[in-house]
Amino acid sequence: MKIVVCIKQVPDVDNIKWTKENNLDRANMLSKINSYDVMALNYALEIKKRLNNSTITAISMGPNQAQDILNYALACGADEAILLSDRAFGGSDTLITSKIISRAIEKYVPDYKLIITGKLASDGDTRQVPLAVATLLDIAAVVDVCDIKNINDSSIEVVQKVEDSINDISLILPALISVCEFNKPNYVPKIDDYIRAQNNKIKIYDANSLEFDKSEVGIIGSPTMVYRAFRPEFTKEAVEVKLDFAKFVSDLLLTNGAKHE
Amino acid sequence: MNKITIFLETNRQNVIEDVSFELISKAYALSKTAHELNGADFIVEGIALGQNLDKVSIEKAYNAGCSRVVLIKQQDNSDILCAKNMAQYLNENPSYVVLFPATYFGRIIASRLCTMLDTGLVADCIELDFILKNNELKLASTRPTFGSELMATILSKKNPQCATVRKGIFRADFTKRPENIDFIEYKSDLDYIENRIKFLNSIMADNKENIKEKLAKAKIVLVAGFGLMDAKVDYFKKLKDFAKKIGAEFGVTRKVVDNKICSNDYQIGQTGISINPDLYISFGVSGAIQHISGMKNSKKIAAINIDENADIFKYADYKIVSDAKKIIEELEIYK
Repeated sequence: MKIVVCIKQVPDVDNIKWTKENNLDRANMLSKINSYDVMALNYALEIKKRLNNSTITAISMGPNQAQDILNYALACGADEAILLSDRAFGGSDTLITSKIISRAIEKYVPDYKLIITGKLASDGDTRQVPLAVATLLDIAAVVDVCDIKNINDSSIEVVQKVEDSINDISLILPALISVCEFNKPNYVPKIDDYIRAQNNKIKIYDANSLEFDKSEVGIIGSPTMVYRAFRPEFTKEAVEVKLDFAKFVSDLLLTNGAKHE
Repeated sequence: MNKITIFLETNRQNVIEDVSFELISKAYALSKTAHELNGADFIVEGIALGQNLDKVSIEKAYNAGCSRVVLIKQQDNSDILCAKNMAQYLNENPSYVVLFPATYFGRIIASRLCTMLDTGLVADCIELDFILKNNELKLASTRPTFGSELMATILSKKNPQCATVRKGIFRADFTKRPENIDFIEYKSDLDYIENRIKFLNSIMADNKENIKEKLAKAKIVLVAGFGLMDAKVDYFKKLKDFAKKIGAEFGVTRKVVDNKICSNDYQIGQTGISINPDLYISFGVSGAIQHISGMKNSKKIAAINIDENADIFKYADYKIVSDAKKIIEELEIYK
């Protein structure tokens, strides 16, 4: 079975740096693989263990340094790695990103059976790309998958965890799943794995090889545009409570309808 | 006549979910803004999909500001069919703006539909406004990004201009019933049947839904931050019990969930749920922006933190520089 795993390199949002001018200091920010994508990769590795003749293709879109996370994927056990990289791709919104990824899958992994993605990317957190990719490829999709029960060459049975229910769902392949949990330890690549992975060259494709006109992608091609970006500011003037804190809180609760005994 | 369309999410009983009314009222306010900006006349249209639609819900939709309710009749409720039918309807009856609830199903429909319509989609907006850009009305959608450290206002180059909004961001106002209202049943000519996905079994996690529903509707919410962490005493439980006793709801921050102290059903913030109670009181919450974006619509905000420079105080009406643990213990005696 051919499995595609979509992974993204994201800035470490817990350690964001700002310039003096209050802009994101991207140059000094650490990058890492999006944590949900690590789960996606581990699901693929699990399936590969269960189904003979499975291969994993890891795909990422991003600048050259995104090769780091593709090397990580190869070291973990991916068989092939594809980087979609072009200056013209910069600033692509979710729709255009989905077009680029789905076209790459159609062109370079046309006989895929399963696409696995993470639930969301921590930097943008839109959750749109998996479903947009599935729509462009005209395949079924299930999001928020927390377990895979059964898989064979023509179907997969997954467990989905959503707001109000836990569902067992069966899907005819090809299909896409986005994952939100992985209940086993992640594979941690060893030095040998990285050495082995070095023999496996990352394939890099640009707008031209994907047959995109540069005006169709990136900032120009995207249907949305960032009009303004700012750090949230709030100007509330708080009243400082100086004494009898607990009594103050208690009175506040009572005047707002808290139950009194 | 221009229109703003709202996706009306319904439950298993064909009742429209509250979040859709919140969006209708916001859309109604946007239609007034559009009129002020360049004289444009907008109506608000709600679209539901399924076999039937609850009568009371339809009246509520009108009362919240909807001029037209459309029911797209279909047998099967798969996401692909819903999106395809809505795409067909919107291709025949184009809208200027389409808004979706950022719920599990709303997000799926939004992502699929906007891809089919080849238009943009802005996720999880916390503010929506109309602005004039080059004399053209544009929906300015503001959303948090980069772990909520940054806000971005996004415009769409194409129509419909689309956005998703989470529950609790806007307030429904049931005093906006328009003079002219109508109801349309729309029959799509698609004979598509989804047979690639099969639901085998479903366990309702009623309890979980209740926690979130209760938080979203709560009048008073007491929120525990990681500052309540204590080697000896479980102050999280103490606050939770106290909240229960006084009829308030209990919430926590992301850090509390990340440290596995509490389940994420109680999490308030961008990745949790949004609340808008009459009174919010935080105990040992530092005030990370991703938390703020989920509670800043609270009417009255009181914050307790031992650190007088804690960010939470920037958003508070009442600032209490004190040990939140101590106050919890004192409150227990007060009651």
